[in-house]
Amino acid sequence: MKIEKNRFYEDLSLILRRTQQVSIAAGILFLLLLFFFWKIQILDFKKYWALSEANRIRENVISAPRGLITDRNDVILADNAASFKASIIRENCQNYVRSLKEVSRLLEIEPSDLERRIAKYESFPLFKPIVVKDNLELREVSRIESRRLEFPELVVETDPKRFYPFGSLAAHVIGYMQELSPEEMKSDLYKGRNLGDMVGQTGVEKEYESFLVGVNGKSTKVVDSLGRTREEVGKVEPAPGQNIRLTLDFDLQEKATQMLEGREGAIIVLDPRNGEVLALASYPTYDPNKFISRFTPEEWMDLINRSDHPLENRAIRGLYAPGSVFKLTIALGALRAGVITEQTTFFCGGTARFYGRLFSCWLVGGHGVLNLTEALRRSCNIYFYNAGRRMGVDRIAESAKILGFGKETGIDLPGEKEGLVPTEEWSRSVRKTHWYAGETISVSVGQGPLVVTPIQVAAHTALLANRGKKIAPRLLKSPPSAKNQDEMFSLPDTSGEIKAEFFEKVIKGMWKCVNEGGTGHAAMVDGFDVCGKTGSTQVISKERAEKLGKEIKTHSWFTGFAPRDHPRVVVTVLVEYGGLGGATAAPLAKELFDIYKKKYD
Amino acid sequence: MPKNYSTSTRKNMIDRRLIENIDWFLIVLLVLISLVGVLVIYSSSHYLPGKYYLKQIFFIGGSLVVLFLFLTVDYEILLTYSSYLYGFIALVLVGMLFFSHFTAKESWIKLKYFQIQPSELAKIAIILVLARLFSEYKRNFISRSAILASSGFVALLFVLVALQPDLGTAVSFLPLLLGSLILAGLKRKALVWILILSVVLGVAGWNFYLKDYQKKRLTTVVFPGKDPRGAGYQILQSKIAIGSGGFFGKGFKKGTQSQLKFLPARHTDFVFSVVGEEFGFLGVVAILFLYYLFITRLFRSAAKSRDRSGVYIIFMVSLMFAFQVLFNVAMVIGLFPIVGIPLPLVSYGGSSLLTNFLGVSLVLNVKMRRFVNI
Repeated sequence: MKIEKNRFYEDLSLILRRTQQVSIAAGILFLLLLFFFWKIQILDFKKYWALSEANRIRENVISAPRGLITDRNDVILADNAASFKASIIRENCQNYVRSLKEVSRLLEIEPSDLERRIAKYESFPLFKPIVVKDNLELREVSRIESRRLEFPELVVETDPKRFYPFGSLAAHVIGYMQELSPEEMKSDLYKGRNLGDMVGQTGVEKEYESFLVGVNGKSTKVVDSLGRTREEVGKVEPAPGQNIRLTLDFDLQEKATQMLEGREGAIIVLDPRNGEVLALASYPTYDPNKFISRFTPEEWMDLINRSDHPLENRAIRGLYAPGSVFKLTIALGALRAGVITEQTTFFCGGTARFYGRLFSCWLVGGHGVLNLTEALRRSCNIYFYNAGRRMGVDRIAESAKILGFGKETGIDLPGEKEGLVPTEEWSRSVRKTHWYAGETISVSVGQGPLVVTPIQVAAHTALLANRGKKIAPRLLKSPPSAKNQDEMFSLPDTSGEIKAEFFEKVIKGMWKCVNEGGTGHAAMVDGFDVCGKTGSTQVISKERAEKLGKEIKTHSWFTGFAPRDHPRVVVTVLVEYGGLGGATAAPLAKELFDIYKKKYD
Repeated sequence: MPKNYSTSTRKNMIDRRLIENIDWFLIVLLVLISLVGVLVIYSSSHYLPGKYYLKQIFFIGGSLVVLFLFLTVDYEILLTYSSYLYGFIALVLVGMLFFSHFTAKESWIKLKYFQIQPSELAKIAIILVLARLFSEYKRNFISRSAILASSGFVALLFVLVALQPDLGTAVSFLPLLLGSLILAGLKRKALVWILILSVVLGVAGWNFYLKDYQKKRLTTVVFPGKDPRGAGYQILQSKIAIGSGGFFGKGFKKGTQSQLKFLPARHTDFVFSVVGEEFGFLGVVAILFLYYLFITRLFRSAAKSRDRSGVYIIFMVSLMFAFQVLFNVAMVIGLFPIVGIPLPLVSYGGSSLLTNFLGVSLVLNVKMRRFVNI
């Protein structure tokens, strides 16, 4: 194995030259690499600096608690409760597919739901947590926390959650919360809010969102590659939302809700002097606590699909024929138009023929001869058929509009409907048919195409009580809002439209209706001088009901105020399919007048 | 045979003249770069248990002792026994394939206190064997049989190491072979053929040998942004680390990418990204300049060799360093795929450090014995 070797120096110049060449080549490559470092470190420095900062700095939102909602006496109707939510940070998934599978098992969510959820927030940056489950139970929180190291992609955060201590009470007034959807994000209303924030969807929660919502705080943290916090470098405390006090009175609201139980309908109690709504109940109702969640639980689907529409606020969105309640409008309108006076009498024989068609009074056999106040007291149809015929539909509409029908009352709740007051013009341009004279007769007793909302009836009753001073119902007691100050108190002054003496005449009829054995006598409260008017609205025509061969109950109305002089309270009751107004609605109104009298007088 | 006796004693002892001819400057550069390595390893692992920087200092000391011990043996003798060394290493590698339960990771032999990576030492064996093979090769151009013989030696170890699988180390054998062939007079045409062949082999390897994770790593060299948690994630984080260092760097122990563990393999394969982040472009230039000084001094040492085999040894050792430095640095800025080639002298690891010190020891060995003893 010994190497035989030449003991003299060899000629190595050739291979040395080759060595030198390779050495130079290596040197060139060194320079070339330096060029790349120059590019990354000097030319692209800003880009990579930003990336490295984005890597290590995390800003977490600290949710601001929402403002509380109370009744006028500071009974808390909407509170905040602590809750926990679990979010996934996609960036921290070691293996995305496996991670989804394990997270769905840990949190007991359907994998498909989880995927859909994440797909919804695809546009979020990878480090931003996506809420995958909320309202965690403590047991779940501890299970997640105990496996923190296995699930670097999961974080549990506290999340102040809306809590309604009285459940379904005043649910339609307060509204409910749901997650801000991508579509809503586009509207200006939610500027500065984030996808996934909880926002008020209806009711006061929506109307006064800008008061109630606080300013979220944030904490700036330095995190490592697994998202674990190393240190907090900055913190902005959240500013809680503003508390708001409603005009509602807890006792009246509770009573109103209880009275409607098992029925469908609406009750409104308000103060005619300033429009403050003391109670606003709609039934059937729902418990908003059940679905304060980012997810769509079964309860929600049930509510949406139920045929009696519990989510609808009937008080402001239910459209009903006003029935005999509309006789107040006819009376005022006819007096104003001069087509009748207080002394004008008509004969009621049970039926009467107008335009070749037979119309009947509700009292078989008829009321005989009566004047205006008597007609109001006993709610005679024939009297008002005649009065309405003399006015014609357009003058009826004019009167209805003065009294606030056909447009929103301006109550501070979203989604109010305006109802419909028919005119000949409306018939031509919208309905595309002629107005039939016979329809005027129907409208005279609050039937036909005419529809109103219960809140309109309540507002018009307040106007009557005020002898012409119009008010807008309102729910916000404090803080004063710009909307309240400007819009609601600068209502067009209608007090000059109808002479005060006309109001006195109609109110006399209303007083008799309750206190002198009229249709509304069931609403009588001793020493409180209740003035009111009942209504029973046919849901379908008499002929059709006979054809169907079964009794369809009428909607039952009562609206009134008390006391006669210096009125302080208006009560409007509507019970769907409640039968006669005097039999069903009036006794409910009496109870509310009672409570009001006891509490405030 | 008194004459023989005297030469052999001279060869085996260190006389004054030999010590005078030791290239101290090279040793200073070697230790300096290694100590810079300790600094960077400290910065990138001081928060981890295991005190890697202390171990690395210990490795440096040990390797330095081995380096000097190795100098006492004339490289001629080493060349003489190179085939035994080669055979021994090959046997160990075969053994590791069959008795993988003795090994911790596939490419490591676990001893009581240390783990040794025989594949690293295989580089020294290859250098010695090829130098021995070409020591009498005086033709201007290389013959086909010489190509086959040298390729055979390298191919065997390449396959054994690649099967472990330790692709990075296996790949770093190739420049040794190619270098020696170039030195021996590989024709340009042949060079082209080799490049074509390596492309073909590359395609075959892609389809039959590479594991999925390695394929993924290779694809992400081209598209690092695509898969931020996979292999592309490593390259991206490394580029972010380097780029965010800017001109002056973020400062010692202040690199967020490294300290907050966004950077993978911070004290091993990606140690140079830490340099880029914490010491900036200045630091990169300084360290690459040190390497450049070191490597050109190695290459230039070839002129100080007394014989052909010495040139081969020095050339291959220089090439081993140049290749690994260039490959690793190109890897951390995303130009080359991540195949696990450490930065020589700086990356943490005893086996690689020892191999590199042994390489330098061989160069010193050749250089100090440049005067023929007759």
